[in-house]
Formats: sequence, structure tokens, C-alpha cells
Amino acid sequence: MTKQLIVEKINYFLVDEFEVEEEEIAPQANLKETLELDSLDFVDLVVAIEANFGVKLVGEDFLKIITLQDFYDLIERKIS
Amino acid sequence: MEEKKAAIKYALVTGGSRGIGRAVCVQLAKDTSYHILINYNSNKEAALETLREVQSVGGSGEIIQFDVVDAELVKKQLDAWHENHKEAVVEVIVNNAGITKDGLFMWMKPEDWSDVINTSLNGFFNVTNPLIQKLLVNRYGRIINMVSVSGLKGTAGQTNYSAAKGGLIAATKALAQEVAKRNITVNAVAPGFIRTDMTDALDEKELKKMIPANRFGEAQEVAHIVSFLASEKSSYITGEVININGGIYS
Repeated sequence: MTKQLIVEKINYFLVDEFEVEEEEIAPQANLKETLELDSLDFVDLVVAIEANFGVKLVGEDFLKIITLQDFYDLIERKIS
Repeated sequence: MEEKKAAIKYALVTGGSRGIGRAVCVQLAKDTSYHILINYNSNKEAALETLREVQSVGGSGEIIQFDVVDAELVKKQLDAWHENHKEAVVEVIVNNAGITKDGLFMWMKPEDWSDVINTSLNGFFNVTNPLIQKLLVNRYGRIINMVSVSGLKGTAGQTNYSAAKGGLIAATKALAQEVAKRNITVNAVAPGFIRTDMTDALDEKELKKMIPANRFGEAQEVAHIVSFLASEKSSYITGEVININGGIYS
């Protein structure tokens, strides 16, 4: 899967399932703030990632994730 | 597109083969529409008898074997069960499995300490942890932990059991705060002297003198409160410990 496709897929479900406004999506945007996530909401993200990419994320995966770019990179690493 | 089937809802009761666990299984079958998932460790015949009682009151269910102490086995069994029940969701978890190994602390063997902690406290983790993600995603759940008056006031001769149940009470309160936002309640039920196999060896005639109600309780009396906590009616009660002890401690 190309990086471009990963980014598109993630952006698609952020808009579709997490009700993020399209114009808020930018690589440097803060993931937690953009999605208005509290710590429990990460469980929804885990489920969305599993459904879209077939990989299961664990708590530690999120420790270094600050921006959307970090998140794209994490998924790329996970599925490669 | 394949139509999504409605989830079949289950209530899991650990240690459901006998005593309070069995009474809880039967009461849930009477009061709710949950399918009852009856966990047992060693006594399959007793678990099947619980299942028969569940069916005799118009309920349905099945039995599942695992020792709550064995984290790996619990996960393996629950994963296998989910694999065979793709449309199922465990919505209610009753952590009831428990053992006692009483004795004076000064004579207590290390294994008597750890066996009791492993079952009552670690068993809660081993069963609840693999199931909680689904409750969080579904934004609904009921977790009920069977504790004891020993975990609140402490009971001489039960330092291990009191520690395990006291720990479970604290875990109940902490987890309740963590998951409340997702409509998951976590409560504990603390029975006093209840007439079951576990209290069979006790001198009821002597002990009941200290109980204001002047009798041991029945497992079914405990089951009623568990059934209420498992229902939607209890939605604003969480992190709570409900005493059910004939007035012996409050």
C-alpha cells in the first residue's frame, strides 16, 4: 500500500467516522486536539485502524503520536 | 451488501457452577434476556446443572471452562468462543469466582496467600481485561465484582481473602471512574455470611448470634442485587460497594 493511499484512507475515516472537518486535516495538526479525543476514545481509533488496515495497535503505539503525520507514519511502519 | 445481524447479548458469570454464582446465573435468566455464559473451572457436572436450572426458568446459555487464574487460558478460551460466536457480545461480566484458604496469618503458607489473591484479584483482571475493549467500543456494559464483608472490615483468619477482596473493591472504584463516560458501570457486591458450600463448614448456630438478622443469607438474595446491577435500571450507580449481610457491617 502506498503512503498516499494510507493517508487517503485515514483521512477518509477521520471525516466519515470521527466527524473531523475536512479543512482541519493537515499533516502537522495535533491528532488528539483535531479529533477531540480523550484517552478512552483511542479505542475507537484502534478499531478503525484494524478494520481498514488489518493491524492491531496497542497503547504504547500511541505514546509518540502527536501529529497526524506521526499517525500516518505509524500505520505505514505497522503494515510494512 | 450483507445485512448486519443483531448482536446476541451475553452475561458471563465466572464461578457459575455453584453457590452464589449459580444463583446469579438463574436470576439473570429469570430477570433479563441475556444468554448466560456459565464459567466453571473443575466441576463440569455442576456447571451443567446450573445450565439446566437456567433453562428451566426459560433462559438459555452455555458453559465455558477456564480457571480464572490462568490468564493465557482465559484469553484463549474467550477468543475461541468469540470465533465461534461472531455475532455475540458479552455485555455483562460478573466476576464471582473465588476461593478461601483460611488460617491464622502466622501459620499461613505462601501458596495460601497467593492462591487466594490469584483467584479473586488477578482473576478479575484476567477475565475483564480481554473483554473491556468491546464494551468500550459498544459504549455499554455492566461489570459486577463479587467481594465480601471481609474486604471492607477485614476478618480474622482471612488475611489473604480480606486482602484480595479489599484490592478488588479498590479496583472496582478505579475502573468505574475510568469507563463511566462510556456507559459502563463497575460495582461490587459484598455479601456477609451466605449459606453455600463455601460456608458449609461454619458453625451457623453460633455465628448467627452476631448477625442482627439472626440468620445466614441465601444465595438468591445476593443474586437479586447482582441482577439489578446488571440491568439498565442501575445506570447511574457506579464505583459502589453494596453490602448484603443481614446488618453485620455497614
